Amino acid sequence: MAKQIEREKASTPGKAWGIGVAAWAVPGLGHLLQKKWGRGLLLGGAVWLMFVLGLVLGGHLFRISGTDQGLSALLQLLPMSANFGAGLPYIFCWLTNTGFAENAQRVTYEYGNTFLLVAGLLNYLAMLDAFDIAAGRKQ
Amino acid sequence: MRHLLWMVIFAGLTAVVFGVVAKGTDRHRLIYGLKVLGEFLVVAFILGWILYFLPFR
Repeated sequence: MAKQIEREKASTPGKAWGIGVAAWAVPGLGHLLQKKWGRGLLLGGAVWLMFVLGLVLGGHLFRISGTDQGLSALLQLLPMSANFGAGLPYIFCWLTNTGFAENAQRVTYEYGNTFLLVAGLLNYLAMLDAFDIAAGRKQ
Repeated sequence: MRHLLWMVIFAGLTAVVFGVVAKGTDRHRLIYGLKVLGEFLVVAFILGWILYFLPFR
């Protein structure tokens, strides 16, 4: 088992890690860089659309802020890691302080939250898919 | 109606990603994506009707 893991580590090209990072940073880019146009557009389009719709619907992004203490800070960690999966769109929102305000009075608030969380999680899936293709584990 | 629309959009986008990252031929992945979409919608309708009869208010 250990030998197999070592062999897989050794056979993973450095390019695959770069593709993985690109796929996380910009949804769809990992596949586009490997000339998987159809996959890249479908995955990237779905994740981008979901993220933008989440913001339009009034959903809010999670982050650990200085005001959260103890367990409250920990409770933010899980949804924040889901949001963080969206890559640069999340970082852009974080830098511009966009989407972090709670609009709980809006009817579509919960839908927006769900769209934003799932956009990040789906991008993690897309990132792993791009990594596997670059590493030659998947066609 | 708006809730249904957002639910269908959510299910559709999620099904697209699930279908694209699935293994197999294009045909298999298309069928898998449609199956995921159908499952999302059916489960949402069933849960919606169950919650409708539960006295939460």
